[in-house]
Amino acid sequence: MTIDHAADPITAEVVRNALVATTHEMNNIIVRTAFNPLLFDTKDFGIAVISAEGELWAEDSGLTAFIGCMPAIVQTGLDKHGADHYRPGDVFIVNDPYLTGTHISDTTVYMPVHQGADLVAFVVVTAHWADVGGRTPGGWDMTSTEVYQEGLSFTHQRLVREGTPVEDMLELISANTRFPEIVRGDLDAQISACRAGVDRIRALCDRYGADGVVGAMRRTIAATSASVASQIAALPDGTYSQSIVMDYDGIDPDVRPEVCVQVTIEGDRIRVGFDGTSPTSQGSMNMTAIGTRSEVLSAVKGLMSPTDPTNAGHFRHVDVVLPPHSLVNPERPAGSDAFGFVGAAVMELVVNALAPVFPQTSRAGSYQLFGVYLLRVDPRHGDPFIMIDPLDGGHGAHASGDGSTAIFTLDGDTLNLPVEVMENRYPLRCLQYALSADSRGSGRHHGGYGLVRDYQVLEEGTVLKYANENTRNVLSKGVEGGLDGTPNQVILRPGQPDEVVLTDRGNEAGVLRPGDVVRTISGGGGGWGQAAG
Amino acid sequence: MRKPEKSSRVGIDVGGTFIDFAAIDIGSGRVSFEKQPASAGRQHEELLDGLHRMGLSGADVSQLFHGTTVAINALVQERGARVALVTTAGFRDVLEIGRGGRPEIYNLRFRAPAPLVPRARRLEVAERLDASGKVLQPLDGESIATTVAQLREADPQAVAICLLHAYVNPMHELELAKALRAAFPEVPITMSHQVASEWHEFERTSTAVVNAFVQPEFASYLDNLTRALTDDGHAGTVGIMQSNGGVLTANRAAHLPVRTLMSGPAGGVVASRELARSLDIAHAVCADVGGTTFDVALILDGDLVEKSDATIGGRPVLSSLVDITSVGAGGGSVAWLDGTGALKVGPQSAGAVPGPVCFGKGGDRPTVTDAQVLLGRLDPTRFLGGRMTLDVERARDAVRAHVGDPLGLSVTEAALGILRIAESNMTNAIRAITVQRGFDPRDFALISYGGGGGLFAALLAQDLGIDTVVCPVAAANFSAWGILASDYREDIVRTRLLDLQGSPQELVADLAELAQEIREVMSAYGPSDAVEVAHTVDARFVGQHHTVSVPIETAWLEDPAALVAGIEQGFRRLHDRMYGPRTRDNVLEIVTLRAHGTLPVESPRLPSLPDALSTPGPELKPVYFTDVPSSAAVHQRADLGAGARLVGPAVIEEPTNTTLVPPGWAAGTEPSGHLVLTREGASA
Repeated sequence: MTIDHAADPITAEVVRNALVATTHEMNNIIVRTAFNPLLFDTKDFGIAVISAEGELWAEDSGLTAFIGCMPAIVQTGLDKHGADHYRPGDVFIVNDPYLTGTHISDTTVYMPVHQGADLVAFVVVTAHWADVGGRTPGGWDMTSTEVYQEGLSFTHQRLVREGTPVEDMLELISANTRFPEIVRGDLDAQISACRAGVDRIRALCDRYGADGVVGAMRRTIAATSASVASQIAALPDGTYSQSIVMDYDGIDPDVRPEVCVQVTIEGDRIRVGFDGTSPTSQGSMNMTAIGTRSEVLSAVKGLMSPTDPTNAGHFRHVDVVLPPHSLVNPERPAGSDAFGFVGAAVMELVVNALAPVFPQTSRAGSYQLFGVYLLRVDPRHGDPFIMIDPLDGGHGAHASGDGSTAIFTLDGDTLNLPVEVMENRYPLRCLQYALSADSRGSGRHHGGYGLVRDYQVLEEGTVLKYANENTRNVLSKGVEGGLDGTPNQVILRPGQPDEVVLTDRGNEAGVLRPGDVVRTISGGGGGWGQAAG
Repeated sequence: MRKPEKSSRVGIDVGGTFIDFAAIDIGSGRVSFEKQPASAGRQHEELLDGLHRMGLSGADVSQLFHGTTVAINALVQERGARVALVTTAGFRDVLEIGRGGRPEIYNLRFRAPAPLVPRARRLEVAERLDASGKVLQPLDGESIATTVAQLREADPQAVAICLLHAYVNPMHELELAKALRAAFPEVPITMSHQVASEWHEFERTSTAVVNAFVQPEFASYLDNLTRALTDDGHAGTVGIMQSNGGVLTANRAAHLPVRTLMSGPAGGVVASRELARSLDIAHAVCADVGGTTFDVALILDGDLVEKSDATIGGRPVLSSLVDITSVGAGGGSVAWLDGTGALKVGPQSAGAVPGPVCFGKGGDRPTVTDAQVLLGRLDPTRFLGGRMTLDVERARDAVRAHVGDPLGLSVTEAALGILRIAESNMTNAIRAITVQRGFDPRDFALISYGGGGGLFAALLAQDLGIDTVVCPVAAANFSAWGILASDYREDIVRTRLLDLQGSPQELVADLAELAQEIREVMSAYGPSDAVEVAHTVDARFVGQHHTVSVPIETAWLEDPAALVAGIEQGFRRLHDRMYGPRTRDNVLEIVTLRAHGTLPVESPRLPSLPDALSTPGPELKPVYFTDVPSSAAVHQRADLGAGARLVGPAVIEEPTNTTLVPPGWAAGTEPSGHLVLTREGASA
């Protein structure tokens, strides 16, 4: 693509900054108005402005895993409906993982932006919902074998038609979730953010014309793409491989699925292949094609240009080749509810593979995705509640320093749940929140610390679920002679006669008794370089 | 006691390179301004030098209000005290764990700043409260004795205490502090509930630690200052400006320096509030255009807007602050091209040294000021009243080499481009605090001050659709003037989770209790019946986390039903304005109660200018507002009398500021001397 000289470089920059500011504003509205800590603290959401052709213009996500998903989501909508289907004031919803890339809980709400009758762009908010029905409260059902078991599916339906809410759809949502108050509150937050985005982009079109905005972004994307191409061209050609063996497939404890990544730098392109990756798994740990591509793009962005605002130009020189019917490219109806383990693995493997090529931005491996759910659905024992607590851990060390401590896995701006908020909001008590002294991989530079967090259950009917992976073959690999970090661990009733160390990747661990303690110990990061002495 | 012959009130704003003064002689009403170069380490002496330069001795000053950077510098440069932290057993690492955020979301190496207290000086004490404040495990003598022994080992210069749920019940923090004071009478102690009686243990711990960290240096600065002033004959009051736009006694400030972190920028917003009130402006955007940063805030309905937390140097602080947004854009901001060839301006700044290229002090990267000079907007021969001559050719070469040639633009186009990017960074910041909060900037006036205030004022306004701009008198000393105009102020905050409908009596009682506490604290400031107490409550829909602050009308406090209805309506109105309509309703709950006590101080007034006289025709010079130059009239501000009126294109110069009147704009002088710029054809 040639640079569109219709847009001058100054206007291009002003427009790009205004679109980035729009995504900041949308992000802020989600944080300020959402009902689920998973959104306002954990920031498990994505925000993007996408062109009418489905290209990424700007984003300000909480989690970077959505970066490549959101343009693809819009594309699946355009493919299904065509551009003429979208009317000013419409709000659409989609969460089918084969259309969105992640799992069914990640629900995308989006709006078209028109100037007059012309479609100019889309504003998109993907957010992890507290519950979309399905077999287990809050989702993340590792044993689901079909996407149909995982919850209520949307495939680009209208929630609002030209400004008027479609009440039947809203009722359908309330009726199909275990936590309608939270879900409807979060849905309103998504719609508010989208409306604000539409208003801001319309104002920008009034100022510069829709053509001016489109031309400005074409120019910016072309310039970004050219810069990425020359950056890649300057790298040595070669192929770099990494692989990891997972604990099991969610159903059969003897199956050890494997994720294998080959990253090839050739001329001004990066190609990422997955030859040798296991077939689609029986359980739900699959990641659909859109999501796998997105994890790769997020890792490459982090290595190549970690701080500049993202647009489609960052990805034009990256090719992702996915073997059919594999763990990283399943076919309907395979389940994908617990996709995140493979997601974290893909990202870590790409970063690790390219570590020698990007000594300035890469790092050693980081801990695997880890989280606990403490919840109660049955109202006989008290009000239903759900605490989804994604657990921070240690990240990999690098050539210039120790790894970070207490940041959530993958990328993204994920905040932990304060103890005082937990104890006010849920019938739980936190007994300690501390660095896990022996967790980090040592080296010339050490990995970051994992964390110990103890929850005490105070009331009857409380159920524990947890999510863990790679306890045998850790993701937190040391590099250049640094040691690996430790895996995550869950211990039920630590120090008691009936203590249980939960080594399984886990799912529902059953109903706990008041007084029971759940200890989580997140893994540390990998070390960098041989430790002295 | 002999009454001093002269009696002045003085406002002082200490900045990075200058100490700014504003003084008013109480008898004559004469107002004066001064700037004194500042250097680290001699601040209290330079402050007196500046007073003397204004012809004032300590004895002549009846009231000295002081904005200070001592606390923020100690924090940002990490030159604070050796602090020990005592927490509830199991939670000493909370300070290091933080909240785990990663604002640079793709940065694989992102790391939060290292904790101000290393693990070895983070101690744990056996005790525990639950979320309602009930004691689960008492704080006994044995635990206290253990802590005392450990502290003796750690040998701290200051101690911070943060116990879980102390915001609802401070009993254990008080008992522990009492015991520690007895054991270590020389060591200052900060209790978390005293600096921030709010939930969120990490943010509260961070606030307590920051306070302890800066406290010894701050207290010793105040000690030196008050001694030097006393030696100079001063017998009046010394007040310290807080981040919230109010003044604290020096005594209290010495214990609570965390409240002064943003005291300088707050002064400018207070000055804007006074200015807006005097000109009958209800809503204003306050813009402080400095060398490195562009600070923006709002005046709404004649009052400033506050927030209750900030992140400073990557560390959260819970404190009442004037809600100021700062972006890296100013006269010294450097223009550069990123890897894709996109033009960026800032956030890096050439600062005062080496400064812009045209200063000729070794700067070689083009800045905003260089672009202003090339476009004829700044006069190279009259900068700082002619104290410095600017090197236009050098600026031209730098803009051509770093921006013009690589982008294929002429020098004029490149300079205009640099300013457009800088302006768009500034207008995006203003949109973020107006449009994003549901306000239309066209309903606002713009008050533009700081050293670069006049150069950007009308151009920013034009971009935002604002029709009225005020460029105040002594814009470069505006914060000092604001500090002089500040009232005494105390805040009390309580986290109280209450169902709005379910507990109106409790709510009324709690608010009354807070008011009573404020009056007790402020009894040191003056007669308690002169203290004005205002309340706000932070409310939310049940299930939400973040809150919206709803102001409480005094009349509601007499009638619980009116209080509940008022909060309900106020919250819904604000929420709807900020976030739009919702598809489902929810009930409300109260999270935080706030009381703000104010003891008003008489507002200083500017003397009236003489009426404008007809002056000889001004000189004309070419100024670029577009790539075709306009012939602009050059006026000296000192020559403009009250009621003067001129039309753009024009340039109004004064030693520390230059005001642009673009084509299509007109400027008039208020009797007080403020310049008011209006867009022609606007209905203002």
